[in-house]
Amino acid sequence: MPEDLAIRIEDLSISYKVSLEAKRTLKNAVMRASLKQKERTRTIEAVKHLTLDVPHGSVLGIVGSNGAGKSTLMRCVAGILSPTEGRVTVNGKISTLLALGVGFNPALSGRDNIILGGLASGLNMDEISDKTDEIAAFAALPDGFIDLPVRTYSSGMYGRLSFAVAVSMTPDILLLDEALSAGDAAFKEKSFERMRQLCAEARTIVIVSHALATVTDLCDSAIWMHKGQMLSKGKPEAIVDEYLKFLNVGSLPSSYEDM
Amino acid sequence: MPVNENFVPKIQVFEPHRASLPPLIPYLKEFWTRRVFATELARFSDKAEYLDSRLGKVWLVLNPLLLGLIYYLVVEIIRPGGGLPGLTRLDHLLIGLFTFYFAQNCVTAGALSITAGGRLILNQAFPRALLPFSCTIQAFQQYLPTIPVYIFVLVVGKWAYPTTEVPGWTWNFFWIPFIVICTGLTGFGLALIFATLNVYFRDTNKLLTYITRIWMYLSPVLWLPNSLRGNMKILLWINPLGPVLSATSRVWVNGASPSKNTILGCIFWAIASIMIGGYFFISRERDFAIRI
Repeated sequence: MPEDLAIRIEDLSISYKVSLEAKRTLKNAVMRASLKQKERTRTIEAVKHLTLDVPHGSVLGIVGSNGAGKSTLMRCVAGILSPTEGRVTVNGKISTLLALGVGFNPALSGRDNIILGGLASGLNMDEISDKTDEIAAFAALPDGFIDLPVRTYSSGMYGRLSFAVAVSMTPDILLLDEALSAGDAAFKEKSFERMRQLCAEARTIVIVSHALATVTDLCDSAIWMHKGQMLSKGKPEAIVDEYLKFLNVGSLPSSYEDM
Repeated sequence: MPVNENFVPKIQVFEPHRASLPPLIPYLKEFWTRRVFATELARFSDKAEYLDSRLGKVWLVLNPLLLGLIYYLVVEIIRPGGGLPGLTRLDHLLIGLFTFYFAQNCVTAGALSITAGGRLILNQAFPRALLPFSCTIQAFQQYLPTIPVYIFVLVVGKWAYPTTEVPGWTWNFFWIPFIVICTGLTGFGLALIFATLNVYFRDTNKLLTYITRIWMYLSPVLWLPNSLRGNMKILLWINPLGPVLSATSRVWVNGASPSKNTILGCIFWAIASIMIGGYFFISRERDFAIRI
């Protein structure tokens, strides 16, 4: 892989089977086996033959309707899901925010959750301890909240903390999914600022967003995905225009935000 | 173009692998690198579990101790004395129960570890086996305080009932770490199997409550390993915990060394559980993010 690339995706396809049973239980499996019936499944082709290069220091936006395969693609780049065909090569340390929430135990404090999140992402204890106060400050948690159980947090605080953790782990590659809807306008501006700073340090960002203004403001290239395929790639403004035309909702300013 | 001065190239390649294993050496390296995550997760889970309880960690000891006393009463009513002097049978039952609970806690908590790890699994790539491994560490941490309790019961029992058999100091006690490691490995291996099953069939956990109960009755906890006759002796070998529990009773209660066959049985089940559980789990773990 060329050195200037952060991510190389080659002819990537991801498909998986989902069960059409109401509930997958051992009891149902035994019943089916005794009646010699097969489990009803459907194969979902989430990503189809996608090829893409993302250079270091670039910000790529991914737009597309629900079910386009955006999140599946991000999870595959992060190494969470396995490709069915093709190959993904990633060069650099990845940090992800693909599901909202620091994500461990609501009974534990924000600080404890940050430590666990950092350790799971491969950082060591010293690196994380240095960052916890910085993360709490970035997330703008009220005084003392960092040491309270996460279950006492408002949903805004929770979202801000998740975002703060993802951007503070000094990643080479940051994968964000819908994260920017976490905070209010002031926090959104701070998030943008932080991401611009990451770009200035030549770190790579891939954002999946329905807030099209985010894509045009922040990204220097974008792709449009539809039903698992990449329909087009290019400058963010052009891609967003194309996507909006497809949606047939025009390009009114209001439709740019949180579609 | 700006330059990231802290950039350290770290190439990762993701390619298809379905029911086969991913490259094992990088997997095990990642597992080892992030072992602190498993130990800290165990510590924090322990903290969260007992945060709201006034008696807190005392329950960890009280629970198996009270259960031990209940089972002892039941066993005494069915078969008073049981052919053992003083409180010897209580000692056998208690140490057997504590060891059995160590393995059982590995399995029951480990079985839930993947389905309970939802957001973490959806958000980050890491060797998933760290989650059941963390449960094994937690089970071990919960097992440790039961040892002084056992010794306390042993000493008080000997004082109240002088006929109780209490082994003096012997080098055979050095078999204890071996037994504990084999129990932990067997429990971890079985946890990997049930954690995977629970991802595919969500009622596995319900079934597990019955499995563990039957498993305990089939294990030499309420009865002595040498009380089995004829074909029933096979129970000691087909049960993954049979050899370790036989060895536990022999070392802790009699102060004797486990038989050669028992030692081989312990090693066999530890290796078999890890190999089978490891293959079953690791070959499917990249599928977990879709299933949970």
